Amino acid sequence: MSELIEAIGLQKRFGPVRALDGLDLSVGAGEVHGFLGPNGAGKSTTLRILLGLARPDGGLLSVLGLNPWDNAVQLHRRIAYIPGDVSLWPNLSGGETIDLISRLRGGTRDKAAYAGRKARLIEAFEFDPSKKGRSYSKGNRQKVALIAAFATPAQLFILDEPTSGLDPIMEAVFNQEIGRVAANGATVLLSSHILSEVEALCGKVSIIRSGRTVETGTLAQLRHLTRNEVSFLAGGLTAADLAGIPGAHDLVVAHGRAMFTVDGEQVSAMLPTLARLKVLGLAITPPSLEELFLRQYGDELVADGVARVS
Amino acid sequence: MEILGVLLRQRLRRDRYQLAIWIPGIGLLGLFSASAVATTFGDAAGRASILRLAIANPGLLMLRGLPQGYGLGPFVFFQIFAFLALLAGLMSTFLAVRHTRAEEESLRAELVFATLAGRTKPNVATLVEGVLANLLVGVAVAGGFMAGGLGVSGAVAGGAATAAVGVSFVGVGMLIAQSTSTSRGANGIAAAAVVLAYLVRGLGDALGTPSPDGVHMSAAWPSWFSPIGWAQQVQAFNANSYAPLGLNLTLAAVCAAAVFALASRRDSGASIVPGRAGRPEAPARLSGTFGLAWRLQWLSILGWCVGGLATGWLAGALGNLAQQAAGSNTTVTSALQSMVAARNLSLAELLISAMFAIIGVLAAACATQTVMRLRQEEIVGSAEVILATPVSRVRWLLDYLVLGTIATVLVLLSGALASSVGAAVSGTDLQAVGDSFSAAAAQLPAALIYLAVLALLYVLLPDIAVAAGWSLLGAGVFLGIFGALVGLPQWMRNISPFTHTPVAVAGTTDWSGGVWMLGIAAVALVVAVAGMRRRSLRPS
Repeated sequence: MSELIEAIGLQKRFGPVRALDGLDLSVGAGEVHGFLGPNGAGKSTTLRILLGLARPDGGLLSVLGLNPWDNAVQLHRRIAYIPGDVSLWPNLSGGETIDLISRLRGGTRDKAAYAGRKARLIEAFEFDPSKKGRSYSKGNRQKVALIAAFATPAQLFILDEPTSGLDPIMEAVFNQEIGRVAANGATVLLSSHILSEVEALCGKVSIIRSGRTVETGTLAQLRHLTRNEVSFLAGGLTAADLAGIPGAHDLVVAHGRAMFTVDGEQVSAMLPTLARLKVLGLAITPPSLEELFLRQYGDELVADGVARVS
Repeated sequence: MEILGVLLRQRLRRDRYQLAIWIPGIGLLGLFSASAVATTFGDAAGRASILRLAIANPGLLMLRGLPQGYGLGPFVFFQIFAFLALLAGLMSTFLAVRHTRAEEESLRAELVFATLAGRTKPNVATLVEGVLANLLVGVAVAGGFMAGGLGVSGAVAGGAATAAVGVSFVGVGMLIAQSTSTSRGANGIAAAAVVLAYLVRGLGDALGTPSPDGVHMSAAWPSWFSPIGWAQQVQAFNANSYAPLGLNLTLAAVCAAAVFALASRRDSGASIVPGRAGRPEAPARLSGTFGLAWRLQWLSILGWCVGGLATGWLAGALGNLAQQAAGSNTTVTSALQSMVAARNLSLAELLISAMFAIIGVLAAACATQTVMRLRQEEIVGSAEVILATPVSRVRWLLDYLVLGTIATVLVLLSGALASSVGAAVSGTDLQAVGDSFSAAAAQLPAALIYLAVLALLYVLLPDIAVAAGWSLLGAGVFLGIFGALVGLPQWMRNISPFTHTPVAVAGTTDWSGGVWMLGIAAVALVVAVAGMRRRSLRPS
């Protein structure tokens, strides 16, 4: 199998609740793959199954060519993991916890190299390793998990909302580290609902919902599915004047600007019309991941009584 | 007031199952003790001879209490009151810590502090709940004594004395919770304070002055430094004097005042004794799951070992005293034999086996705690961190079970060593040293059966493992150790592993019960390992 992670039709039930209901996921070697979904969609359950910590009730699964439930220990030599909710031993210091996890992962055999990696990461994340586990804040607990994950080389990084609780500067440090391991050829599966982070880091994205995959592909492919937003200064033009623009949808003129959306492949076809109208202040915005996301979940928001944003 | 009501209801709701076990349990112990004394020591002459023996034997006074005459009521109060007070104290300190330091440590308290409740009202609610719970304990004890056929006024005085000890330890527990930085530490120190109060009282009783009739005694000064000692001075079924309970209530009031003063000065989550900084790098021994399990639990293992040392010392020292006492008075020997489940044992053997049964319980409790730690690690999520590294579930389980076995052996060894030293110091022949070690070895199968069966329970039914684990230990202790005392039928006592612990009789020991238990433990272990191989991690 060429894919590093290949899941087809994964099922997981907790009593009457179907946590995963036919989830598909395919992550190729060297990808930084975003794994998106709202709270409770089944992201953490999927990651725990990928690690062999939980057993799927149905479906096919291979991670690095192996079944994770039967080969968990073998796989864990090649995988680094950050859990969604980092909990530390209250009476172990952060430094001790990092050392312990690294030793368990076999990352400390070359002592000097490990010490160097650990020191560099502690410096980069501005972390105080001598405090006891119970006294760390959420962000600092997260740093323990991040440093432990990055201090030992791995082939696959499985990260469950790894930047929760981090400040923007630390998020930037995290992004650098992802860039570093990706440049070394590692594969990253990054679960998140911080869309800007996924947009910045991930080449491919899978969006799940209620335990099922609803979209998967490169960001460019996904953008293709969503319309671009076009706007310019109306300058006295009315909606009737603009009715002839080819491919325009949802046209409105408000606050002195005309706005409409257009399918990705029709953007070039409408440009001559805009040129004839000599429009000023033209802006064509490709859809953000946020819009992709909201498009997937929009009906859910409406059902929940939240106003539609797009 | 309305807020206080909300906080109080939340506490009562949260504690409803625990208090529903503690309170009737303490009352039933009073009832069983009263009815057992009535059946076993029905005649006044027998009770008088037991009391004369006790007064001649400081060890017995230390364990039981202060003789106040051979009437049925005073005799029951002598037998059981210190135990009842000990239990009420433990219930109270656990309650106090659970709603104060444990809440702050888990940061749940901040959710509450940030509401109209503020920082003071939660403490008031905890105090009120503690007082309410102990009032119920008092009612249960009085009811138990009355149902056991004892007089009303004495029963009420005994209940009030038990409740007063509990109330004073609500205050002590809350004060300790203010001072430490962790709930684990607070629980440990507070429980030690309760046990210390029991021992200090015991010391005072042991050093007391007997009256000329040989069945009354007045306590020496150390008893006046213990809340349990104060409450003992109520002398239920005898003087029924409530005045000493003023000391208990004063202690509770002083502690409460100190709690409110401290709480109004310190930050939420902070402690008076600050937590220490850790080392930035892990020592070499912290490099595997066994090293981690040891690091997380060595302190509590040490605690169980200290318990083993203390009990063992008592066993060694008492054995000799009992022998001397028995040598001078043969009626005493027969009386004491009916007190402990009578077998054909010498007095020293009887006492040593009874004390080692307690050491066996300590070892089983230590084993239980080790297994329960597995579940706690799984719930809080740190097990997930470990099992996401190249460590298999089975390896992780086995490391805890190996640690549990080592810890059990350490507790038993502490008991045997202390008993040998105690025997040597008090001048018993060297035979006692060998006896101590074989008596300790005999406790191992029952402790290991707890280790293995609870491991199986943890693997198969993790959701109920913690509650069921401690309940099984409690049931085993009750049926196996107290079952004979309260006159339960043999088939019920046979359910408990402690009933099957081998006992040395006249130099020979029947090990068959132990062998059976080891066999059952081995089967449970194999099934547990097989189950762990097939089990998902279940954090909740």
